[in-house]
Amino acid sequence: MRYRSLFLKIFFCFWLAAAAMIGALNLMLWSSFIQDPNPERRRGALGEALNLYAESAVQVYDSEGPQAFEQYVNRSLKEAGTEIELFDGDGKTLTPPTPTEAYSVATEIKQTQQHISHVTSLGRITWGRPVVAPSGRVFIFVTRLRQPYVFRGLPPWGIGLSILAAGVISYLLALYLTSPVKKLKSVVQSFAEGNLEARVAPQLGGRHDELADLGREFDHMAERIAALISSQKRLLADISHELRSPLARLTVALELARKNTTGKGTAALDRIEMESERVNALVGQLLALTRLESGAERVPPETVVLEDVVQQVIDDANYEAKPLHKEVRALELAPCVVRGSSELLRSGIENVIRNAIRYTAEGTAIEVSLTTRLDIAVVTVRDHGPGVPDSELQHIFEPFYRVGEARERSSGGVGLGLSIADRTIKLHGGSIRAENVNGGLLITIEIPLSQLPVAAKPAPEKMPVA
Amino acid sequence: MVSVLLIDDDTELSKLLEEYLQSEQFELHAAHDGPGGLEKALANHYAAVILDVMLPGMSGLDVLKQLRQKSAVPVLMLTARGSELDRILGLELGADDYLPKPFNPRELVARLRAILRRTSTAGPAAASQPVHLAGVDLHPDSRSVTCNGKPVSLTGAEFDLLYSFLRNPGKIISREDLTQAALGRPMSPMDRSIDVHVSNLRRKLGPYDGEQERIKAIRGSGYVYLLPGEQA
Repeated sequence: MRYRSLFLKIFFCFWLAAAAMIGALNLMLWSSFIQDPNPERRRGALGEALNLYAESAVQVYDSEGPQAFEQYVNRSLKEAGTEIELFDGDGKTLTPPTPTEAYSVATEIKQTQQHISHVTSLGRITWGRPVVAPSGRVFIFVTRLRQPYVFRGLPPWGIGLSILAAGVISYLLALYLTSPVKKLKSVVQSFAEGNLEARVAPQLGGRHDELADLGREFDHMAERIAALISSQKRLLADISHELRSPLARLTVALELARKNTTGKGTAALDRIEMESERVNALVGQLLALTRLESGAERVPPETVVLEDVVQQVIDDANYEAKPLHKEVRALELAPCVVRGSSELLRSGIENVIRNAIRYTAEGTAIEVSLTTRLDIAVVTVRDHGPGVPDSELQHIFEPFYRVGEARERSSGGVGLGLSIADRTIKLHGGSIRAENVNGGLLITIEIPLSQLPVAAKPAPEKMPVA
Repeated sequence: MVSVLLIDDDTELSKLLEEYLQSEQFELHAAHDGPGGLEKALANHYAAVILDVMLPGMSGLDVLKQLRQKSAVPVLMLTARGSELDRILGLELGADDYLPKPFNPRELVARLRAILRRTSTAGPAAASQPVHLAGVDLHPDSRSVTCNGKPVSLTGAEFDLLYSFLRNPGKIISREDLTQAALGRPMSPMDRSIDVHVSNLRRKLGPYDGEQERIKAIRGSGYVYLLPGEQA
């Protein structure tokens, strides 16, 4: 589990809040208890009231008899739970029936002639004393009353236990809240990796809260995206087929015409052939660009040995450059491995080098190098051509952007190569930029290196093929 | 006249090609869907089959797969330009060569001739001594190969590729020469089919015991067939 995960955040926040609340409550109770200025005096005040009460009650009994005493007691002490027993000087009860506990207290008072006050474990107070009535008769007064309840907070083990319980509840709560997020994340991840069938609904179970709603909304979105991508792919395939079928027929018809033509006609046929090849190249590049921009093209997580890709592009480009009296030269090829599609990377780099071949002056060489800087692979392609006006440098990666109308036309480019390179490199998380150097254009491509350690022995099976 | 079967759903293109190939001494028969083409290819003896990958209903690759189960007739695939996957799959399934569509019919004729030349020279007349090298036995007569005693099923191009390697073990052979030897035609720019064939051959033979690869790519030069323990 990651350190900053939502789960841990929820879990610890709730737990801390609950623990703080438990602590604060206990602290409040405890402080109210200890802040009582003089508990002894309070008990003294209770004793004083009981003394007065005992004396007046005994006086009532002595002068007016047991019935009046009964009335007096009932009138004044109506709350339940307060029992008053009266004994004569010999410890014999005057108010039967009498609980045995009161008897033993009375007996004790008779023997000691002291007043007794103790608190039982259940929070009851037993209080008694000998009382001498104004007539001189001796009574023993015993009362049992409920102590006013004071909650003095939990003991330390109770605090520990409740914090632990709060922890368990927080844990379950965090789990309940984050588990659908985790499921959602794994589904989104799989969708992003190209599994267009990934849906959240089967994993939701019977949930019907906001998170479940979010999951269902994601499913709707996924449905739409999958439909869009598949229709886009179908459209691209259809366009590709529909545009190329007439071109295929055209080339065959052209060759048939060529067989029956001699002399002047062939020049026109050559022209037709060249133009149809241009349309064909344009269709191919346009489709490649659309595929890259529509998201229909995905970067597979393959390991690509970049120096092999660059070397092969150079070999192939030389094949093309030689007849034009130009050359493509590798200055330095550092070993480096990146993640992505060797096919796309090849086409990206190839487009940059082909562009350079187009513009470099006859008899010059295009210099290509592959180096690494920190965790980035850097490919540079330098030509010895006219360069690009500084104000137009940032536009050359835009589709159909032309630097100097006439020159581009005569060079046979359609103005999409660098756009394709740009989109391809960006799809791999890299960047591409152009700058003018002394007598030429320098294009720098940067691609993040693979995080995987480079295998000691080269893996020949991984060698890119097409 | 050499009879060739074209499986392509574009009827107009088929007619044009028929006319063109006629003048090049090929007799073109056409089928316009997968099942029909497969039936025709199996029922008749054609010198070669030209197969469009993009067919309605049954895909060209499926046709190729089923065709290869019963017949070794040379197959030239027509792929959509830019669809590398079709090309790789097709060559892996045993197509002899491919041509991106739209193609120049002159190129088509050149490829057809290359394939036919190769398959005809592979007949008994050109037979020679079997080659035994480091566990691999190659019999030019029967065009069969065994590796460590186990038979290996190779396509025509892969067989010719292995034959060139075994005759020059330890030597670097350029991709141009390998293309010429295996496909019977010169290499064209941006042409990677030889790499696919080498990769297939390498996979079918497997590495030596110590995980050492038999065929190694030499950057900028070509490929070399290594003997056990040998370093490139």
